[in-house]
Amino acid sequence: MKITVNGREVEVDPSKPLIAACHDNEVDVPNYCYHPGLTPVGSCRICQVEVQEGERPPRVVAACRTPVSEGMIVDTNSEAAHETRRECLEFLLKDHPLDCPICDKAGECTLQDYTYAEGQSSGQSSEPRQNFEKRKSLGDKIVLDQERCILCSRCVRFFEEVTEKPQLTVAGLGSRSRIETFGDRDLTGNYQGNITDLCPVGALTLKNFRFKARVWNLVKKGSTCGECSRGCSVSVEVLRQGEVKRIRPRYNEQVNRWWICDTGRFSSDRANPEGRVPALLRGYSGLEACEVEDALDSVTSAYRAHDGHLLVVSPWVTVEEGEALLELAASLKTEPIFLSPTPSELKDDLLHTGDPCPNRRGLMDLGFIPKSPEEVRELLSTAETATLFGERIVELIGPEPLDELPTSLRLFLFDVSGIDAPAIAVHCGIASWVERGGTWVNIDGHVGRIQATRPAPAGVRQPLSLIEGLLAAQEAVQ
Amino acid sequence: MVIVKRKELTLAERLYIPEVLRGLRITLGKMFQPKSTRQYPEEPIPSTEVTRGQPRLAENEDGTLRCVSCGMCEIACPAYAITIDGHEIDRPIEREPERFEIDFLRCILCGFCEEACPKEAIWMSDELELADTTRKGLIYGIEKLKRPASALQKRIDYVKRINDRWRTFSST
Ligand code: SF4
Ligand code: SF4
Ligand code: SF4
Ligand code: FES
Repeated sequence: MKITVNGREVEVDPSKPLIAACHDNEVDVPNYCYHPGLTPVGSCRICQVEVQEGERPPRVVAACRTPVSEGMIVDTNSEAAHETRRECLEFLLKDHPLDCPICDKAGECTLQDYTYAEGQSSGQSSEPRQNFEKRKSLGDKIVLDQERCILCSRCVRFFEEVTEKPQLTVAGLGSRSRIETFGDRDLTGNYQGNITDLCPVGALTLKNFRFKARVWNLVKKGSTCGECSRGCSVSVEVLRQGEVKRIRPRYNEQVNRWWICDTGRFSSDRANPEGRVPALLRGYSGLEACEVEDALDSVTSAYRAHDGHLLVVSPWVTVEEGEALLELAASLKTEPIFLSPTPSELKDDLLHTGDPCPNRRGLMDLGFIPKSPEEVRELLSTAETATLFGERIVELIGPEPLDELPTSLRLFLFDVSGIDAPAIAVHCGIASWVERGGTWVNIDGHVGRIQATRPAPAGVRQPLSLIEGLLAAQEAVQ
Repeated sequence: MVIVKRKELTLAERLYIPEVLRGLRITLGKMFQPKSTRQYPEEPIPSTEVTRGQPRLAENEDGTLRCVSCGMCEIACPAYAITIDGHEIDRPIEREPERFEIDFLRCILCGFCEEACPKEAIWMSDELELADTTRKGLIYGIEKLKRPASALQKRIDYVKRINDRWRTFSST
């Protein structure tokens, strides 16, 4: 179907509303209540555009509730459209506090953007503003500021349509309407965080991000979530090359669309571990800091001096690292094994697979053999040397079983952060998933890329360069 | 290439003594004229209302900071001298800086921060002196930056007056 948008003839999908047709063709139409992932309700009226169909005189309509029709002529910038939008904004701003300097949404707030675009920076009304609750806790993850809310009902519809467990509602009548949970209960579920992305204003904010950073100071890079084998596309957001401050979903039609689960979202808190070290070597007084080269030397000389090697890799290693590790396994004449922990109870029908292996499929395709933590512990008790490679491997095997291993075993650990178990002879720090690039393959075979969003701490090496170091030493011997 | 020709000295100049006496006459003459130098730092430079010294953070009467850590000055600063981290507080104004640092080795005293601030919280004070034995010591934190608003009043009044004038100009 063809329509004309701002004088340009474009091809559109008749099943989508007019606003989507405009957005698909890179024509901006303001919107608050409309979201491509939710049913349009047409409540905010900011999306008005001027439309002419056939012989009828032009009229101003809400683009999110208007279907496209053949030959429609749309003007998103006509004076009449702007005039109506300005009137809508006037209503939205009547009770809005406009405390942008304090508000966390500032910088990515569409109310801010469109108010400026319409050329007025505040409401004109001289009526006193109504006051609502400004800091209403909705459980342990989210805070609601009822004053900033513009009642677009995106959050309400998210729980109704996406998780299909309604939890929020518009309570009260007329100008006293506000968002509330049913019976003032806390929000539950593993998808709450999405409503803070959906909220077009700063009404819903995350407790763990509240007032922690200004959004324009965050460096954002596209990456893939590692908390389960779904591998949702995410944006990792880092402040001043240091802490990961938040993780947000990135639209991916095939995997996660607009959403991510809270396990993935709040993995930002786990992305900033303390006590990162380039390398530790066991000396007389325990694990002591050393040069990475010395640590690698110690590993390769042990490879030469012993038989019965075991190589277990973490399900967090990338395909690229996996290929190099296969070579290492071959040179050690051992089976390539990857740790495949038991699925957690977090599995649900929406996204979370419950399986904490972001690259299960990739490693299986490469030929790695999955082994459960119990089986790995079993194998560890008979090996002479064991190399545990990859992010989170300590956590996934469990620190206690590692602690109980006999000192006769020479354990080489390559993990982001380690433990001080007596069996560990060498611990090499590695760059974490926010500090390195690579590929994971998700459960359905979709390729997800991870990208370095911040540099690794000084001296800490990329896993791939460590494997190459080990391989080079092995080849020199043969 | 430029060839500079040396000036031939006259006999009187070559005799040396007359020239020395001429110099001494100027010195002695100046000794009894009023001084045009200042014994800085014992005699401080008087500040006027347009003095634009180092930026300082204004405090309210109750000792709280006016700053809400919105980050406007941080982003306006052309020298990247300002670093701010905010946090949540219990007052009706929910946000306050947890860390507010100005690196005075970077600050060029341009006053953009003052202009950018939506909360009238950062002002160019009349403090101009800057010395320390370490670089770290010249990165000022909140404790070193905060001043009661009354100490900055002269500047506040001046800026408001000038801004009002611009507003009247631009609206006519
Ligand atoms: S929601 Fe938007 S317009 Fe409202 S205070 Fe926050 S940033 Fe400003
Ligand atoms: S809280 Fe946000 S998403 Fe929910 S209705 Fe209000 S403005 Fe919309
Ligand atoms: S005066 Fe200029 S350089 Fe100094 S802190 Fe303010 S904005 Fe930055
Ligand atoms: S976006 Fe169309 S009415 Fe809200």
